[in-house]
Amino acid sequence: MKKVTIDPISRLEGHGKIEIFLDDDGNVENAYLQIPELRGFEQFVVGRPAEDMPVITNRICGVCPEAHHMAATKALDDLFQVVPNSAAKKLRELFYSSFFVTDHTTHFYALGGPDFIVGPDAPAGERNILGVIRKVGVDIGKQVIACRQRNHEVIKLLGGRGIHPAAGLPGGWSKAINEEERQGIEKTARANIEFALFTLKAFDEIVLKNSVYLDLITSDTYRHETYYMGLVDNSNRVNFYDGMLRIVAPNGQEYVKYHPCDYRQHIAEIVMTWTYLKFPYLKNIGWKGFVDGASSGVYCATPLSRLNVADSMATPLAQEHFEKMYETLGSKKVNGRYLPIHFRLATHWARLIELLYAAERMLELATDEEITCPDVRVIPSGVKGEGIGCVEAPRGTLTHHYLTDERGIVAKANLIVGTTNNYAPIAMSIKKAAQKFIHNGIVDEGLLNKVEMAFRLYDPCFSCATHNLPGKMPLHIALKNNSGQLLQEIRRD
Amino acid sequence: MKLVVVGLGNPVMSDDSVGIKTVRELAKKLPANSEVIIKEAYAGGLRLMDELIGYEQAIIVDSIVTDKYKPGTIIKSDLQTSFISRNLSCSHDLDLISALELARISGLKCPEKISVWAIEAKDIWTFSEMLTAQVSQAVPLVVQEIEQVIDGLVGNLTNMEPVPGTNRRQG
Repeated sequence: MKKVTIDPISRLEGHGKIEIFLDDDGNVENAYLQIPELRGFEQFVVGRPAEDMPVITNRICGVCPEAHHMAATKALDDLFQVVPNSAAKKLRELFYSSFFVTDHTTHFYALGGPDFIVGPDAPAGERNILGVIRKVGVDIGKQVIACRQRNHEVIKLLGGRGIHPAAGLPGGWSKAINEEERQGIEKTARANIEFALFTLKAFDEIVLKNSVYLDLITSDTYRHETYYMGLVDNSNRVNFYDGMLRIVAPNGQEYVKYHPCDYRQHIAEIVMTWTYLKFPYLKNIGWKGFVDGASSGVYCATPLSRLNVADSMATPLAQEHFEKMYETLGSKKVNGRYLPIHFRLATHWARLIELLYAAERMLELATDEEITCPDVRVIPSGVKGEGIGCVEAPRGTLTHHYLTDERGIVAKANLIVGTTNNYAPIAMSIKKAAQKFIHNGIVDEGLLNKVEMAFRLYDPCFSCATHNLPGKMPLHIALKNNSGQLLQEIRRD
Repeated sequence: MKLVVVGLGNPVMSDDSVGIKTVRELAKKLPANSEVIIKEAYAGGLRLMDELIGYEQAIIVDSIVTDKYKPGTIIKSDLQTSFISRNLSCSHDLDLISALELARISGLKCPEKISVWAIEAKDIWTFSEMLTAQVSQAVPLVVQEIEQVIDGLVGNLTNMEPVPGTNRRQG
């Protein structure tokens, strides 16, 4: 493809922008989702005390401040060479599990689910939670709001604030809980489990029992064979808060397992001349372009990825549903673990299994005898000069990396956010959907919906940059030839 | 009148923080016994809806990027206009109008009247706690106008287009 310099992204109010490049025959050569660049974060934090990072970085994004707060807090543990005690780790994970319940619930009911519950061919204006209510009943709306509210209270109680949590400290957590508070959290966790089971049942009845939807999930349009990344515990089970990063190959074999602090040995980023986006890839495989397969360094970090890298789930009900998903979608067990599922639309199902796991894990922690321990902090004793913290954010693996001077003043920061991991897979998914609907320069009806579904399953985060979308996400698709000349624009405002 | 004034935006993204900075200034001006509630919000959609539940009236202050007006221009609207400020919706869930409809369907009390005061931004892409000069000049004007609304001196907040003498172009 001829090198093309893309014009700066439109500053029009609220436009996601996709660029599709056609070859000389008018067929799709490449496609990219444009995400506005956020400038100057490294300069913004230089000179600040590292201990401020959990409350600065959580302001990057209004949607997942909890994830940034936790990754930053863990980076401080590393920077100040302190290991939190068991009670503090459990409190952190309890807080984090509640956040995951909220985030996954919101995505499924507001974004992912409507494509199936209302239908992929329904008008865009109806494919939202109100459409779900019209189809399923008003009670579901009440349940979604109740779920968000009760977990919001837990996040506020444990995090110190409802929106921008402030409880994370190097070596622990600033807020212990008493028995009365514990009981309230336990009640919320139990309600979350019921809600997650109800949601999975609805998914089963509305989606899985509908052969049209099942065919859509298993269609080649939304299938990619890439490497997968996710945190796992000592038993290779999914864990959102801590563990080793495991990467499995498209054939399901473990490619590598490493401590998050070693990420630079395994992950590199490639810069393209035609966009400001950097595309992470597996360093030791190499960048071969936006292509599938074991010889391509493209990897994916999503709810489906996390399940694909794990041997099993750590909680019983989630494990049942985990097995059901792999069996239903035709995965075989090899050497005691399921082969990866490559159907990207199954990410929605994986997200619900994670919702159930988060709810169950929350109950485990809320009923743990250590959870009301008043001692939730180990005081740091030194500054290492470098700190790396990693958690699973709902949208993928999140890494914070800080360099400081001997006083702990930040000299440099590097963040690999969940969505960044998935830039290449998102581009590939959009390209494949576009290829199906564009032939010889002619665009078929339905392109917008199908392309939208291709990137929505990743729930890409432009929130810190483009949380400005009036109503249903507007789309602006630009078709260009391989010289970068605009051939056609498709807009839905 | 149970009124909430919400400053909306990202506090560390340059002009995107103008709504938050405005309500902080407004809070300093209000008497200690004021019944007006001042809040900050950092995302649109369902998260913003959560902040509005239970109030009779709401004023939202936010940045906007239209490229039609000079930075610092104050643009007033209500939620029913098609011209919506940049943070009212959330790419991770839904727009505020739908979120409020969801709340109403679910039996929650939503404001009868929601006014949006948007300030045309110059830079919303750079990490900074500072506003650009033109946008900064709009803050005291918006504070003054909202104070007048609170005092019951201005009733009609639904005028969309900047009208000389009502909305001001800065810079």
